[in-house]
Amino acid sequence: MNIENLTHLTQFQVDDQAHIIVNKEVCRTCDHRACVLACPANCYTWDEATGLLSVVYENCLECGTCYVLCDKGAVDWTYPRGGYGVRFRLT
Amino acid sequence: MAKYFDVIIVGAGPAGSLAALRLARAGLNAVMVERGSHPGAKNMFGGLLHHTPVLNELIPDFPERAPLERHVYKKTLAFLTPEAAVSLAFESEDFENPPHNGYTVFRPVFDKWLAGEAVKEGALLLTECAADDLIKKDGRVVGVTVKGREGELRGNIVIAADGVLSFLAEKAGLRKEFKASDMGVGIKLLLGLPEAAINERFHLVRDEGADISFVGATGGMRGGGFLYTNRESVSVGLVVHLDSLRAAGKAPYDVLNGFLAHPLLKKLLKGAEPLEYSAHLIPEGGFKAMPRVYTDGLMVAGDAAGLVYTNGINLEGINLAMTSGVLAAETAIKALEAGDYSARTLALYRKKLDESFVIRDMKTFKNAAGMMHSERLYESYPKILAGVFEKMYRVDGKPRSKLLRLARREALKEMGLKGIVADGIKIGRALL
Repeated sequence: MNIENLTHLTQFQVDDQAHIIVNKEVCRTCDHRACVLACPANCYTWDEATGLLSVVYENCLECGTCYVLCDKGAVDWTYPRGGYGVRFRLT
Repeated sequence: MAKYFDVIIVGAGPAGSLAALRLARAGLNAVMVERGSHPGAKNMFGGLLHHTPVLNELIPDFPERAPLERHVYKKTLAFLTPEAAVSLAFESEDFENPPHNGYTVFRPVFDKWLAGEAVKEGALLLTECAADDLIKKDGRVVGVTVKGREGELRGNIVIAADGVLSFLAEKAGLRKEFKASDMGVGIKLLLGLPEAAINERFHLVRDEGADISFVGATGGMRGGGFLYTNRESVSVGLVVHLDSLRAAGKAPYDVLNGFLAHPLLKKLLKGAEPLEYSAHLIPEGGFKAMPRVYTDGLMVAGDAAGLVYTNGINLEGINLAMTSGVLAAETAIKALEAGDYSARTLALYRKKLDESFVIRDMKTFKNAAGMMHSERLYESYPKILAGVFEKMYRVDGKPRSKLLRLARREALKEMGLKGIVADGIKIGRALL
């Protein structure tokens, strides 16, 4: 399972509106940034050089891990608009 | 289209669809609001649809008509260390006879079928509609707003079957903030493998299926591995507690890769083709972590109500979900007859749940959630078992010990006397 191949394995109907918005200021001072490693879809990246947390909402499997693990209130997470987001075929 | 409904059901998963079917059959005007492009598009699970009596009652010929993969014939519990495996397999000819104990299914396929059954009975299905918020009037829930196809739906009763994160239960003030220790995340890789290879490798014939639970597959994290055989594919994955995942600082897919690289898994899955990857949270806090399940005008069913329990041997949710959906529907029918949608009337739902196997099983294993937080279960026990078996079978010209002595020595080495006593009490309280 190469996570880089996620979009070849799983289908997404990508919305132009992001359903995850992170508060980069809060993330900058976060003492764990658990979202980065825990996300099963590798959506979060921490850039040590710039001190910025970025999120690729387009690959989100909508599992909710980051939503529960963020205890800083920095992840504004909702479901994508109806019809958008991950689209499982079999699983 | 009627804009006013007897019952609005949010989420066309197993709980929602079966609720809708029950309501429609009673001649009521029920609508399912589903955020996916079709029911099941947002749903994943390990793979096993447990035998659920209410499903058989409402759709007696479901085993012939539903899109099922295989019926589960063989149950295996396997303990893994990096180099060894100790497996205990149970198979019985009794599992061959209907009603079958469970079926492997694909959720995007099965959920779509089940919602379709509700539609056939007269329920309405709205897809691509994400319920965003509750509409309240005089403190009572009277509808939902929808995002996707903007608009709102109003009705007498809302059933929130909107999944583990249930934003609606939260907005109704029924649940507290989630704790990472009450949540598991399941990740799964579906792997294509020819039917003949599956039958050969797992010793199955016809539509027999295998279900293997793995202890010691999670890189020291609290959790387990699973494997289910479908007709021409195998579902393999892990479930780990979120707090344990955070503490371990590991990426779940890396741990999954480690699991797939175990010699036992490598042999079983050789040549398999990755087909799909998915992940979802599982409410694993058990009875003690349940939210309130009703308020004025609203009932909560399925994962949204935290109706999942695990005791290390059983992991059940879909059967509890479907049963709760039907009980919510039956409560709605009574409330509609009485024209009273207050919490006092809807309290009947909780009573029905309490009397059913749903809450009874959740209560029986209410201490299991705590037991499952014992770290030793996941690393020490597989090591002890493998150690005992290794020494039992190894022939090397050295004098042997008797079995009990061997087990005692391995257990003491791994966890000390204090650990053995502490776990004995925890496991005893949870399971015995």
